[in-house]
Amino acid sequence: MVDLAGPLLDSLLLGSLYTIMALGLTITYKVTKIPNFAHAEFVTVGSYAGIVAVNVWGRGLAEALLLAVAASAGTALLADELVFKPLFRRAATSLHLLVASIGVGLVVRYVLSILASAAGILSAKSDLLATTLVSVGPGANLTTLHLWIPAATASAVVALHVLFTRTRIGKGMRAMASNFDLARVSGIPTARVRRITWILAGGLAGVAGTFWSVYAPTDPEVGWRALLWTFAASILGGFVSVSGTIAGGYIVGASESFGITILNSEFGISASYKPMIALVIIVAVFLIRPTGFAGLTVRDVLDGLRKFPGRTVARVKSLFASRG
Amino acid sequence: MADLLFLYTSIATLFGIYAILALSFNLEYGYAGQPNLGKVFFFSIGAYVAGILVAHGTAALTGYTGDLFTAQAANARLLYAAANPGTILSFFIGALALAGLVGAGFGVLASYPALRLRGDFLAIVLIAVGEVGRVFVRVYTPLAGGNIGIGGVPSPFVFLGDREARVAFSVLVLLLALGTFLFASRLSNSPLGRLLKSVRDDELASNVFGKRTPWVKAQILAVGSGIAAIAGVLWAFWFQTVAADDFIPQLTFLVVAMVLLGGAGNHRGVLVGAITMTVLDHVTRPSFYAILGFEANLAFDINYLRYILIGLMIILILMFRPGGLLPEKPVRTPALDIARALRRPAPAADTLQAERTQPP
Repeated sequence: MVDLAGPLLDSLLLGSLYTIMALGLTITYKVTKIPNFAHAEFVTVGSYAGIVAVNVWGRGLAEALLLAVAASAGTALLADELVFKPLFRRAATSLHLLVASIGVGLVVRYVLSILASAAGILSAKSDLLATTLVSVGPGANLTTLHLWIPAATASAVVALHVLFTRTRIGKGMRAMASNFDLARVSGIPTARVRRITWILAGGLAGVAGTFWSVYAPTDPEVGWRALLWTFAASILGGFVSVSGTIAGGYIVGASESFGITILNSEFGISASYKPMIALVIIVAVFLIRPTGFAGLTVRDVLDGLRKFPGRTVARVKSLFASRG
Repeated sequence: MADLLFLYTSIATLFGIYAILALSFNLEYGYAGQPNLGKVFFFSIGAYVAGILVAHGTAALTGYTGDLFTAQAANARLLYAAANPGTILSFFIGALALAGLVGAGFGVLASYPALRLRGDFLAIVLIAVGEVGRVFVRVYTPLAGGNIGIGGVPSPFVFLGDREARVAFSVLVLLLALGTFLFASRLSNSPLGRLLKSVRDDELASNVFGKRTPWVKAQILAVGSGIAAIAGVLWAFWFQTVAADDFIPQLTFLVVAMVLLGGAGNHRGVLVGAITMTVLDHVTRPSFYAILGFEANLAFDINYLRYILIGLMIILILMFRPGGLLPEKPVRTPALDIARALRRPAPAADTLQAERTQPP
């Protein structure tokens, strides 16, 4: 029997991080309909901002978070104003927006690489250390990081809930998500709501980035590596459901840490195969239920289990069926 | 004096390989509307087919049982190639054929998600497939040497001598690129090409007209992926190594930038895009400055500039010229020319009439 205390702590921590990142991704997709690959770079920007605040300027966690949120939100806002909004105005397809977000991501990532090389922090780890509170077993320590990150996620979730249900801006976001034209003719200031959406998504990415820099070494690809998992979490939420995204984040975090521990100890599979799990999740969700958890009921689950094998066979058959 | 032959052959060969890749992406995306952003995955399949065939093939022929992925093994392969040029040439031809088939097979598999997903979600899945494929090969070492990769894939024209082999290989790649261009042009002006456009523009309508759109998608992804795998073989035999980290997603984005720059749905435009991006690709590589004989002394890795340029190029094209430099043109078929030719005499008859009715 493997020791599961370590994976449990890891999945709490990773799940919270993926949830924060995936929430930003989901919100921007909902409001602006962009599958935003540049979200990875917003996280990386936050990560480096945290390192600059802590390692270079010698500040604490609070200042690091503040700087990271400002930097990431600024990057997100700039990307929207310069690229996404003009494209949206000329009614670009969502595929063009996706490709544009990849372009934005490349530019941000490598400009950041150049800046980081110049500053000599291309590959760095935050000087801020997580102190161990309780040691549960070999390699399984409950650190302050395990308290900060879930707390940050929980407060983000509560804040988002209040925003979406109690404030005009949040309700405006929901209106824009369900019908943009109707929202605009109803007098919702769409340009302002859109700007706030980007600031919000960038800010969440900045928080996640700062915690990444404390949790693991930072390099320009840190966001890109996490992006696959972030997309998996968002896709589990169907890219629209906030509660589905939260569930998705923790499922992804748990399957990463538990999945690889179990595969490693039971089947001797190397831990480096980790990204395969994210891919399996993405492909499985798209093939079984492209809307993810959004609008899922218990009845749907039971129906799906009953009909799934037959349906899959029928689908494969239809591919190779003769014309008729 | 710097050896400019090295530079010319390098630009020509990479242009050929990128052009083949971009043409295959244009068939899938520009014509059929299937954004295969996992292009690098199908490309790497070709490279690995070539590398594995050469590494395991020469080992089987020479009875070598040690580690295939060390520098000594790579050197031994190059020596073996010099001694048996015929074997290597047949390996090369075999790899081209096999890679085409294997790539096409994986392309058919990729069409399964394409049945159910819209453009942008399909793109997400295929990017993930490409990235995970790279991770898998890097970790799973027995097949292809993981991160170190397969070294010592010899040039198929090793019997010609070093410089001549480079030139011969460049010419071959350019010829293959020309062949791909002609093939793609023929394909896209055929009934299948028009069917592809109909699937792209309105899948429901082509379904209504009795076209089996799933099968069309499977076909075009098979053709595109097969072509991409052939480009991968050429890459392996040109660089003489196959390493997992050559196949990063940025390579796909480079190809996307070529197609968008030139104009999706226009093969000539894609060639223009390919040559532009090949030159950009070259001037941002350290080897370019090494050939010219001076050292680029920068505080950062010059490769970063390349990716910034690719990203900027993608953004600027989408914002200011979404159709590309040479936008898509109406379909040209013989039927259209015949119709024009038939219509032309009509005004002539009118003038004849007018002359006749004039009083003498």
